[in-house]
Amino acid sequence: MEFLIELLISAMIVVGGVFALVGSFGLSKLPDLMARLHAPTKATTLGIGGMLIASILYFAFIERTLSVHELLITIFLFLVAPVTAYLVAKTHLHKNRDRQDTAQFQLPPPAGTHKAGWATFNKSEKQSRTEIR
Amino acid sequence: MNLALIVLLPFIGALFPAFLIRSGRNACAYGTGVFTLVAFILLLVQAPAVFSGQVIQARFEWLPQLGLNVNFFLDGLGFLFALLILGIGLLIILYARFYLSHNDPMGRFYVYLMLFQGAMVGIVLSDNILLLLIFWELTSLSSFLLIGYWRHLPEARQGARMALAVTGGGGLALIGGMILLGQIAGSYDLSEILQAGDQIRSSSLYIPALLLILTGAFAKSAQFPLHFWLPHAMAAPTPVSAYLHSATMVKAGVFLLARVWPALSGTPEWFYIVTSFGLVTMIISAWIAIFKDDLKGLLAFSTVSHLGLITMLFGFGTPLAAMAGVFHILNHATFKAALFMSAGIVDHEAHTRDIRRLGGLLFLMPITATLALVAAASMAGIPLLNGFISKEMMLEEAVHTTYLGQDWILPVFATLGALFSVAYAARFAFHTFLGPVRDDYPHKPHDPPFGMWLPVFILVSLVVLIGLLPGLIAEPLVKITTDAVTGGNTPDYHLSIWHGFTPALFMSMIALAGGLTLMALYLPAKSFRERFPRPEAKVIFEAIIEAIAKVSGQITALAHNGSLQRYLAVMVSAIIAVGFAGYLGSTPLGAGERAMVPVNWPGLVAWVLLVAALGATLMYHHHRLFSLILIGVVGMVVSLTFFYFSAPDLALTQISVEVVTVVLMLLALNFLPKETPRESSSLRKLRDLVLSGLAGLGVAGLVYAVTTRGFESISDYHLAESKPGGGGTNVVNVILVDFRGFDTFGEIIVLGIAALAIYALLDSALHGAAQRRLSKWVPEGVRAMDPHPFILVIATRVLLPLALMVGVYIFLRGHNQPGGGFIAGLVVSIALLMQYMASGFSWAQHRLKLDYHGLIGAGVLAAGLTGVGAWFAGRPFLTSDYTYVHLPVIGEFELATALGFDVGVFLTVVGAVMVALANLSRVGRRADAAYEAQEQATDGKEA
Repeated sequence: MEFLIELLISAMIVVGGVFALVGSFGLSKLPDLMARLHAPTKATTLGIGGMLIASILYFAFIERTLSVHELLITIFLFLVAPVTAYLVAKTHLHKNRDRQDTAQFQLPPPAGTHKAGWATFNKSEKQSRTEIR
Repeated sequence: MNLALIVLLPFIGALFPAFLIRSGRNACAYGTGVFTLVAFILLLVQAPAVFSGQVIQARFEWLPQLGLNVNFFLDGLGFLFALLILGIGLLIILYARFYLSHNDPMGRFYVYLMLFQGAMVGIVLSDNILLLLIFWELTSLSSFLLIGYWRHLPEARQGARMALAVTGGGGLALIGGMILLGQIAGSYDLSEILQAGDQIRSSSLYIPALLLILTGAFAKSAQFPLHFWLPHAMAAPTPVSAYLHSATMVKAGVFLLARVWPALSGTPEWFYIVTSFGLVTMIISAWIAIFKDDLKGLLAFSTVSHLGLITMLFGFGTPLAAMAGVFHILNHATFKAALFMSAGIVDHEAHTRDIRRLGGLLFLMPITATLALVAAASMAGIPLLNGFISKEMMLEEAVHTTYLGQDWILPVFATLGALFSVAYAARFAFHTFLGPVRDDYPHKPHDPPFGMWLPVFILVSLVVLIGLLPGLIAEPLVKITTDAVTGGNTPDYHLSIWHGFTPALFMSMIALAGGLTLMALYLPAKSFRERFPRPEAKVIFEAIIEAIAKVSGQITALAHNGSLQRYLAVMVSAIIAVGFAGYLGSTPLGAGERAMVPVNWPGLVAWVLLVAALGATLMYHHHRLFSLILIGVVGMVVSLTFFYFSAPDLALTQISVEVVTVVLMLLALNFLPKETPRESSSLRKLRDLVLSGLAGLGVAGLVYAVTTRGFESISDYHLAESKPGGGGTNVVNVILVDFRGFDTFGEIIVLGIAALAIYALLDSALHGAAQRRLSKWVPEGVRAMDPHPFILVIATRVLLPLALMVGVYIFLRGHNQPGGGFIAGLVVSIALLMQYMASGFSWAQHRLKLDYHGLIGAGVLAAGLTGVGAWFAGRPFLTSDYTYVHLPVIGEFELATALGFDVGVFLTVVGAVMVALANLSRVGRRADAAYEAQEQATDGKEA
């Protein structure tokens, strides 16, 4: 039994490590910022998640104590990673707003039915309405 | 004890008028009067003892190491003055109740008046000259407030400033003189100084001490050439003039002459200086008084003249002259206060105090006119009134005094002074009250309400009673006072109306006849006077002040040119110089004997990061946002270093401080250009490089020298005493809230002040030129259209309860584990800051209605009250105590008074951060609104 648990823990550590490595590799290899942003937010978060699961298992089954630290770390990570990525992306958009003509910075049209444009560049319909009023 | 209470009561009374005014003007006046009345009664209770020749004392130690003690004593002189101050004070309070109009803030008036009264009583009852000096300065300050009471009038403000400059400057001279006196006598207690007269007069420091003390006394008592402030102080409301500038404050200088009379008088220096200044003042100001058209101006100069008379009498140095001086102080206070109040009534009723526009008031306001005429007659020295008797005594003394070896000088000039005083008294009386009734008064005058003329009536009754029965009413008081002034050498002289056909009687008659003649020839005399140029004191004074201000401004501009680089360069050079001087001066501090610790990987990485971040800051400091991020990196490395060296408290504090600082800086940078312009010349860069390099090397060397040797520190004591002494195992927290709680208390006060300074500085951005600049502000770059991104809003709202919980947790465990009020305050502030950042200031403000200024105050108060609590246990301020409480479910936990203190720290920190944020946001919102208005204006044009 204990062997199985240890096996599982090791597997989680290895998986976590692989994802962290992939994240770091992507961060250095991907061509532009928008693509690069995916590596640390997705792969690395997953990698850390794997290690956290390993840690929870270790404390629960080997040390026989309940450890909530990992849960807290998970919550914070899941809160912080998307917000950070979002803000970095937003800054990037604004910094390169004048270079829309080059293919690299060309923005795809936003999804959705209404033609409001990008939220950070154009006023939403609601905002325009309130201003007209 | 009672003596101290007499001094204290007016000060206590000063606390109430500001509140009582809400219950009405009568309540305010009565509430103020009660304190003076009680003090007056307490004084009268002492009268039998004083009249039997006792000296009553009350002594408390204050700063015995400095010789400064709260010692009071009451002898005849103090009794007379206290009687005048409190008695006339009572009348003034009544008079002011009717004099002040509905638009005047009465509460404020009474507060100032009571402050002044307390200070004045303090002067006359002080036994310690240092204490006397404190009260002396207090009278200067409170009279400044009283003269400037009508702060909307430029004359009031200028007069107040002038009075403060002259009397305050005199006060400085007096401090020097008093300290010299104390040095000579070997004690600062008046009762001992007065015994050491011979020792003082033979000392080599006698002349400087005398000159300095006389300067102070003359400035206060408006002696020539320092007399000019008094007429300008007439811009004050009339009750103030009646109280300060006739009965009390200007008498403080004369009081001082009387007080130090036994110690300083009797030398030729004393005689010539005091007599001459008194004589010159008496004659010159009496001459000026005759031609003053302003009622109060006339009275002001006549007051200066009478003060000169009293000064001259004290200058004579004989006991009988001193007795005459004392008697005249009493008489002058009664008739002059009455005259000022009458002038005030005239002003109040006729709406002018210009003599040229008055006349014939006897028939319109008979009561006031009668009272004023009697008082004016006393001022002129008409028989059967008190002014006559003391003036007789003065003339008599002048006859018997030889000046510069000549017998005739003093009698002639004294008669001349008396002649002028008859003239101005006649002008005051005739030109105001007599003559035909006119029909062009600015306001039809009639007698005022009873309460307004009652004080005048009381004073005038005294004038008449003393004049008729001097031996019965005034003599005992004058005798004990003279006893006190002369040190028991009271002459066997009886106050009476008739002394036979003495030279003084003839001189009086000459003065009376001459004065009336001069008045009859008023117009020719006036044109005679106007032929000569006269110096205008105010112009000269203003010119001097302006010159001083200009020179000061130049010196300041030289030292403070506004360049922060220069200040820093000066400071750093000074530190380098001092550091190297210290290093070279003593035994050089080389490497110690302690072995170095090997370098490890985490340390190396942190060090490289730190150096890289600092280097990058140096390179890219023109990009402000980037350098802010780099500074954040430095802060993080420092926090990690604390953590590495097992200082979790410091690490926590550092991290939270970094976050708050960076966020607030970001908000502030919003309004600044994103890039710093390149201004420094390469020469300046070289200078800065050399300076900072030297300073850095010096600090590094010092750290190396200190850390390579062992040394004893107080840490062991703190570690050992933390649990038994402070009841907590977190030594850092116990040090903060207990061992050095007083430091922390001071620090949170400073923090609160700093927050208020942020408020004050940013508030100025919303007014005047700064506001106009702000309204033209255009943000650099394009702004995002979604200022409050949805994802950020939701994330911060989810985090809020979590962060608050962490804050509470850190706060509660602070005494025993890393945490405490300061860190908790920062954590909670960050939690709130996030809401403001993410959801916008107005959104958050709408949901959290807290007065952050109040939070700061509450914090300081909570900490202070916790400290005061220790007094109830009979322990010193901020002594902490703790106990263990057992609660069901939660279990046993500790309750320490330090927790209350920590609450104070917590509240202050939250309040300070929030005040900074709120004000930055306030500026930001104003700028945004202005910018949007600009946008819409241009949009409208384009459309």
